[in-house]
Amino acid sequence: MKIISNLLENIEGIQIYYIIGLLIFVTLFIIISIRTIRMPKSEVEKIKNSILNDNETEDFIPS
Amino acid sequence: MENQKFFYDNKIVRLFILATLVWGIVGVIVGLLIALQLAFPVFNLGLEFTTFGRMRPLHTNAIIFAFVGNGIFAGVYYSLQKLLKTRMFNDTLSKINFWGWQFIIVLAALSFVFGITTSKEYAELEWPIDIMIAVVWIVFGWNMIGTIIIRRVQHIYAAIWWYLATFLGIAILHVVNSFALPVSLFKSYSIYAGAQDAVVQWWYGHNAVAFFLTTPFLGLMYYYLPKAANRPIYSYKLSIIHFWSLIFLYMWAGPHHLLYQALPEWAQALGVTFSIMLIAPSWGGMINGLLTLRGAWDRVRDSAALKFMVVAVTAYGMSTFEGPMMSLKSVNQITHFTDWTIGHVHIAAMGWNGGIVFGMLYWLIPKLFKTKLFSEKLANIHFWISTLAILLYAIPLYWSAVTQWLMWREYTPEGFLAYPNFLETLTQILPMYSIRVIGGTLFMVGFIIMMFNLFKTMASGAIVNDEPAEAPALVKLGARNPAQETVHRWMERKGVRFAVFTFIALAIGGAVEIIPMIFIKSNIPTIDSVKPYTPLELAGRDIYVSEGCYTCHSQVVRPFRWETDRYGEYSKIGEFVYDHPFQWGSRRTGPDLARAGFMGGPMYKNAAWHYNHFMDPQKMNEQSIMPKYPWFAKKEIDTGIIPAKIRAMQTLGVPYPEGFDKIAVDDLMKQAQTIVADLKASNIDIEPTKQMVAMIAYMHKLGKDIMPPPAAPVVADSMAMQNNQKEVVLLTGEADFAAAKQIFQTVCAVCHGPEGKGIPPAFPNLTDSVWINGNSPAQIYHSISEGNIAKGMIPYKNQYSEKQITQLASYVLLQLNKK
Repeated sequence: MKIISNLLENIEGIQIYYIIGLLIFVTLFIIISIRTIRMPKSEVEKIKNSILNDNETEDFIPS
Repeated sequence: MENQKFFYDNKIVRLFILATLVWGIVGVIVGLLIALQLAFPVFNLGLEFTTFGRMRPLHTNAIIFAFVGNGIFAGVYYSLQKLLKTRMFNDTLSKINFWGWQFIIVLAALSFVFGITTSKEYAELEWPIDIMIAVVWIVFGWNMIGTIIIRRVQHIYAAIWWYLATFLGIAILHVVNSFALPVSLFKSYSIYAGAQDAVVQWWYGHNAVAFFLTTPFLGLMYYYLPKAANRPIYSYKLSIIHFWSLIFLYMWAGPHHLLYQALPEWAQALGVTFSIMLIAPSWGGMINGLLTLRGAWDRVRDSAALKFMVVAVTAYGMSTFEGPMMSLKSVNQITHFTDWTIGHVHIAAMGWNGGIVFGMLYWLIPKLFKTKLFSEKLANIHFWISTLAILLYAIPLYWSAVTQWLMWREYTPEGFLAYPNFLETLTQILPMYSIRVIGGTLFMVGFIIMMFNLFKTMASGAIVNDEPAEAPALVKLGARNPAQETVHRWMERKGVRFAVFTFIALAIGGAVEIIPMIFIKSNIPTIDSVKPYTPLELAGRDIYVSEGCYTCHSQVVRPFRWETDRYGEYSKIGEFVYDHPFQWGSRRTGPDLARAGFMGGPMYKNAAWHYNHFMDPQKMNEQSIMPKYPWFAKKEIDTGIIPAKIRAMQTLGVPYPEGFDKIAVDDLMKQAQTIVADLKASNIDIEPTKQMVAMIAYMHKLGKDIMPPPAAPVVADSMAMQNNQKEVVLLTGEADFAAAKQIFQTVCAVCHGPEGKGIPPAFPNLTDSVWINGNSPAQIYHSISEGNIAKGMIPYKNQYSEKQITQLASYVLLQLNKK
């Protein structure tokens, strides 16, 4: 733990961290967005309609 | 496949609903009380248990954790079972969750009333209750994840992702922010100090909004809005993108609460950047909610539940646009510390959180009790009263905020602050506080109507505590087939796996923000002249914390001319290294106190002034809305705990000498005697062990270490005065007297009284024939211009023009003294 705290105490150029954070976000955002958009529509429709198919909902209007 | 039979646990849902209603009305009533206290200080009731400083955290905690918290549990416990087609994992855990949470709420209410608080906003509870919260929260998470594991459906619906994020987010936030070193059962010190404490606290505070007031409500929206509208959510793909973006981004944005304050620039930039980015996922959620109603707006017309949900989602959209705008530095410099913040959070709390809870209850209770809503008409009346109440609450506060930012920054053509006395601004906004009371009253009336309606609904129906249901068992799937199953679907297969990914997304932002602030030494440059608090000052500081003074007074001066002219030198990070916890505050109902101890500065007041002010602020200035604190002169300092406090501070790194704990009480008494003697010179008798003495010591410590005492003699030499005096011709015009009277009543009357009779000998009578420094026009002009620093009278040449000082001298001599 001492090694870690020594290392952390002497980190320089901390400003770069939030730029790294932004890059992490943008990268993940692009990957998740592309993969999500490519999800089959039928599967998505099935999932989102599932909560209304519970024998409790009246006058269900599917999308 | 054959269906399995099981029973939904409706009883636990009913208990949480009842708790929501009971604590909700309590929270609203306390909110109304503190709104009244700000408009009419008599509502502080003259009791130490009911002052604004103690009631305000009671209100915020009652609304957030009691009303909203129980509402979340009610919504989650019902929807989780239905979505996963299973009973809750363990009934005992459900009961511990319910009764444990209610026990915590009762303890919290009692601790606030008795002044037991850490002063960290929305995390004010002391360490034993913090531990209970952690235990009950883990029980909630255990029960929820257990329920996910024993589910009968393959898919984990979007609402549950939000519930998981809520559990994990709050667990991380609560644990990290609550680290404290106990001194006794009722007192602890945050392990973080100053700027570090501020970053951790506002990382928590901001994300408490995120993970207690936003993510669970998005989960509730994803379940109850489609159910109430009988329409599936508009876009499931959007819900995936908006979920991951939102939980990742939220954790980074906390420092936007500390812009222009004593915080490294990189941390402020981090907060602003991620706050602006938050607009996108937040509006993704709002759009998904509103578009769910496409083609079903006729149902909104007929259903109060849906109306509430529409207002809720709209308020969410408004708040999540307003919040990032307020985090822009140019906007933040004028909105921060004003009532804009209060208006902003109430749009969110009353509109978004209130709307979702009300909408959910109007839909859920008839369903749970197998009946119809007692009166749709009453529900609609509640809706319109509540919506009007939100407007009547928020608009006056926005108006008030605009008044504050214009008046605080206004300068005269001569280059002086146009309104140097804080009370001048406060007086202008008091009517807004009165209108706010009307808004709060309407909201309370609406709440009572809802309670009546819902209790009648419950009475007309019958709940089935163990509701029978059946569903096929969950079929376990094999290895992922990339062609048939997306990564997200694969993640959703196992609740624990999904939770791990959620935890990673949450933890990155927190780690990047918190770890460097705590560990990297260059972030907290120290200042050699800043010394630890003396035992008496520490005792005073603890009383300041206990009384919740931070709810009205900030202790951080931002680097703006209009702040440094009003309060003194701007604050530096190194000033706060011994502050466990920090006391920067988040709003200014009263003036900033960071420089209250700098003799010669604009905020300095002498011991006699503080004594009189604590005893009866309205006596010093009848427009003040500060509560009276006469018990400071009666209650004793707890000297028995002082050595333990010193030892705790030493453990936290405060450099008291070795063995100082053993002589700390002697040191306290020695310093107290000097204050007692000072007060005695003003004909005020008090024992050195009274809390008043400690409070005065603390007030005189604030800002003292970084501001050297004035080099000039504190009491003007009469010969020197005569040599330096300029010829003064008194002004006798009615306009001059009127202008002078206005200044006198807002500034001078605080010490000399509205009629100039003062409180001799501390504050001289200006109407008699006794003049300490002479009564020629030039001498009076000089006295006002140069002040009397030792007695707490500041040099008014720094605040008023020569003409204004001449007007004042004329008013004193020709109107008050009738010379």
